[in-house]
Amino acid sequence: LAHGNGGRLMREIIEEIFAFHFGQEDLDTTADAARLPLDAGVAEWMITTDGFTVEPLEFPGGDVGSLAVHGTVNDLAVSGAVPRFLSLNVFIEEGLDIEVLQRIVASMARACTDCGVRVLAGDTKVVRRGQGGGVYLATTGIGQRPAGVDLGLHRVRPGDRIIVSGPVGDHGAAVMLAREQFGLFGSLRSDAQSVLPITEILLGFAGLRFMRDPTRGGVATVAHEIARTTRATVRLLETDLPVRPEVRSVCEILGYDPYYLACEGRVVAIVDAAVAAEARGALRAGGFTEASIAGAIEAGPARVILQTSLGGERLLPELEDDPLPRIC
Amino acid sequence: MRTAQRVEVRGRVQGVGFRPFVCRLAREFDLDGWVRNRGGSVEIHAEGEPAAIERFIEALVSRAPPLADPQPAVRRPAEFRGCAGFDILHSDSGTETPIHVPPDHFVCPDCLDEMRDPASRRYRYPFINCTQCGPRYTLIDRLPYDRPNTAMADFPLCEDCRREYEDIHDRRYHAQPLACPRCGPVLEFREPSACVAIPGNEPALSGCIEALRRGRIVAVKGIGGYHLLCDARSDAAVGRLRERKRRPDKPLAVLIPWFEDEGLDWLACLAEPSPEERDLLASPLRPIVIVKRSADSDLSGLIAPGLDEIGLMFPYSPLHHLLAGDYGAPLVATSANLSGEPVLTDGAEVERRLAHVADAFLHHDRPIRRPADDSVYRRSAGTMRPFRLGRGSAPLELALPHPVSVPTLALGADLKNTVALAVEDRVVVSPHLGNLGAPRSLDVFEQLIRELSGLYGIEPKRVVCDAHPDYFSGRWARTCGLPVHRVLHHHAHASALCGEFTPDGPILVFAWDGTGFGGDGTLWGGEALLGRPGGWRRVGSLRPFRLIGGEKASAEPWRCALAACWEAGLAWSGCPVDAAPFRHAWERGINSPYTTSAGRLFDAAAALLGVALDQSHEGQAGMRLEALAGDTGDFLELPLRRENGLYRVDWTPLLPALMNGSRPAADRSALLHASLAQAVLAQARAVRGESGVNLAGLTGGVFQNRVLAEHAARLLRTDGFEVVLPASLPVNDAAISYGQIVETAHAGPSIQ
Ligand SMILES: [Fe+3]
Ligand SMILES: [Mg+2]
Ligand SMILES: [Zn+2]
Ligand SMILES: [Zn+2]
Repeated sequence: LAHGNGGRLMREIIEEIFAFHFGQEDLDTTADAARLPLDAGVAEWMITTDGFTVEPLEFPGGDVGSLAVHGTVNDLAVSGAVPRFLSLNVFIEEGLDIEVLQRIVASMARACTDCGVRVLAGDTKVVRRGQGGGVYLATTGIGQRPAGVDLGLHRVRPGDRIIVSGPVGDHGAAVMLAREQFGLFGSLRSDAQSVLPITEILLGFAGLRFMRDPTRGGVATVAHEIARTTRATVRLLETDLPVRPEVRSVCEILGYDPYYLACEGRVVAIVDAAVAAEARGALRAGGFTEASIAGAIEAGPARVILQTSLGGERLLPELEDDPLPRIC
Repeated sequence: MRTAQRVEVRGRVQGVGFRPFVCRLAREFDLDGWVRNRGGSVEIHAEGEPAAIERFIEALVSRAPPLADPQPAVRRPAEFRGCAGFDILHSDSGTETPIHVPPDHFVCPDCLDEMRDPASRRYRYPFINCTQCGPRYTLIDRLPYDRPNTAMADFPLCEDCRREYEDIHDRRYHAQPLACPRCGPVLEFREPSACVAIPGNEPALSGCIEALRRGRIVAVKGIGGYHLLCDARSDAAVGRLRERKRRPDKPLAVLIPWFEDEGLDWLACLAEPSPEERDLLASPLRPIVIVKRSADSDLSGLIAPGLDEIGLMFPYSPLHHLLAGDYGAPLVATSANLSGEPVLTDGAEVERRLAHVADAFLHHDRPIRRPADDSVYRRSAGTMRPFRLGRGSAPLELALPHPVSVPTLALGADLKNTVALAVEDRVVVSPHLGNLGAPRSLDVFEQLIRELSGLYGIEPKRVVCDAHPDYFSGRWARTCGLPVHRVLHHHAHASALCGEFTPDGPILVFAWDGTGFGGDGTLWGGEALLGRPGGWRRVGSLRPFRLIGGEKASAEPWRCALAACWEAGLAWSGCPVDAAPFRHAWERGINSPYTTSAGRLFDAAAALLGVALDQSHEGQAGMRLEALAGDTGDFLELPLRRENGLYRVDWTPLLPALMNGSRPAADRSALLHASLAQAVLAQARAVRGESGVNLAGLTGGVFQNRVLAEHAARLLRTDGFEVVLPASLPVNDAAISYGQIVETAHAGPSIQ
């Protein structure tokens, strides 16, 4: 199965299998969190769910446990909600070192405390040896979104700016290096963390249109989602897209494009051009010193253009699977 | 007794002065009636003595104007109406269109003489043309080819021009782009940094010449797009152009003046062309021809670094004649574009996007409807062969050996892209578009697909594209709403060759190139395919090796060298980087797909020889190896292994020889070429032993390498093979769209 990296095939599976079978009104597969049909007074209940597998289970900067919390919390956060509760499902592979499980669960608990969420429900299953990658986690998160928050691609207009909250690709690069046992690039760590401090700052701007955490498939895949949904051109500026030198050199060696590598602690936001500089300034003042205005929405066909540092333009394709060279 | 005949003439009959010719002929034979354009053909109603009509019909073909290429006329008896006189009627559009849009023509000798005649009202007019010359493809909005349907619609004819346009005895009778200094397009010279804007033909021209003399880089609007011009003898100017265009190595074309014999004098100073090359340079096509450069020319060494050849071109438009003539010396003339994109055609866009490259701009106000880059030719295996289809040579119309069942659009490959449109047994191949990975290329690709359908009146009912999952053309196909057929890259290469030669039986085609998506999910590029269009079987290949870093390996030949050495269990002491992380990626297969690419094998060899560790443009390593190859008869017999029905060439024994620094690089390069040519022969013999097939084809970008192509062809012929190479279409991916059409037209039961 080649359905793992967030490209078109994955979207098709979600749209054609899951959305088809769960096809009730409340389940919006394109939103990071859904409104919970419960009375929340002036606020709205939001719900999201996600499954987590990663190899290795522990990597520089995080582990599958913290990832399972941050991933779900972040989906609520970019939807404009304050995360409140989690449910948790754990699938443990027979033979998993109990010490490892201890560390993972502890890390998960720490992450919950940091993010201010409580696990309200959970379940654990053990699967036979060889049937699971050590441990799989699934979390469902419930949060409250204040009344009046209206975020979404329906609000995006040509001319809007794209803000990226920090260097991209750290998580993807760090996990890949750990998995492939590269003994190099020691300083490279995953960016896995809660994005709540970022979304709180951005939510202070009325010109905020849309937020997303660029996880699987990275910034390029989010950009494609934006282009496809808004039927507009997304222009990204290579010179303004922050990438750490270590990530750049890993990509250079392995022939990867950093814009397709996952982030687990960054936000891609679309804001009204009028507030872009101010929003970036607020992020920088809030400690996100590499926050940057890295692109814009333009009237034009639905495509993603990378304006290169050399002044050229390159189309960023929507990834199908692992890229194969096109050069003939 | 006078009778009537209705005659239809197809072929290249529009935009070449065919209707006025018909008129004059009709009067000569004392016929009445009329002629009109009808879609892409010409329809004639002729009334007169039957014998006269017969002779007239014969003369339509035998005495056609030089640029016309009519097919034998089809006629049927018609109702006699008693017409008085012979007229040109307004075109009848809205009828079915047989394929034909003329390419752009060079300025004819008559116009050139007139342009140089101080007494002429078009003396030194940069847009002079007649029915026998001038722009066509880049000018036409829609057929039929009439002035209101061209970019000249906004230039109303002055009285004098109108008189010529309407006078049947004038050589400008119904010349659609006809113009003069009073009513036609005009030049403007601009140098934004100096706030200079000079309108007017003569002042603008002298502004441009003066800027060139100051060593400036000027973007000049031509027929199919802008060129960047600078002094070809100045290292400073050429160096600046290379630096600004970030194009350190790719050879630049040179425009040389043409004054009767003086053009040939310049040619003799700069190069050592064969008579064939000289004829092609001077032909109406006016392409860039790659010729051997003279050792003692005073051209800048930066024009084609590391190569012993140079791309030359004579002026093709009146403007280029004036520029080259006034400058009086060779000028670099390279397409004004950003790397991989189609040539730029719009003044504002050129000023915006090439602001960092060009110091000045020579614009004119005749719009260019669609880009057409210069065509490029080079001699190989006994004849002149195209490298690139463009101005003058495209749109290229060809007959199909086997008709398509429904109108079909082929999208080509992603690099060196061309598109092709086929209906019944005719196909038209577009000019070179570029690399679809750039937004402008994709824009032009979409524009051209739209306009070709319109120009030819053909609504495609299905689309053919490459099987590569990541090609932009394939993505476009998925969203276009038509049924999509996918064709393997190398099947398309092989079928393109068959389209040109229509073999009776099966053929063995060696399709050697960079990489293309193979049927087994690996990247092919050194394949031998047996069969016929619609039924190919892979019977031979090369030993696979990894491309470390995927696409990166194409830009960095040293990656190929490392992988080839590791494949052979060897170490490479000349590796320019710390190999450890690459070894790790290679061992674990991280973004390191297997390939059987001959092109990448050449890259590996170029790195091992130290000729090209990196390459800034595709094919650079191979071109340098070819230029280097000396003349030794020496070769290694490479083992041929039978694996899963494939004859695999094991190239690993070459590596120690390539790394042997005690032998001159020229010898080692010759050894490489000779050994691979022998490997082709060995595969061909093995396959012939089993199949009896005695017809061999060589195609794919690697066979742009003349030393390899000629050597392999010679060996095969000596061994009794009949050998074919592409001649009408380039050997490279420009032919893929045509091959996709041929493959689809034949698609039937597979041999496999
Ligand atoms: Fe190819
Ligand atoms: Mg998620
Ligand atoms: Zn002429
Ligand atoms: Zn005039």
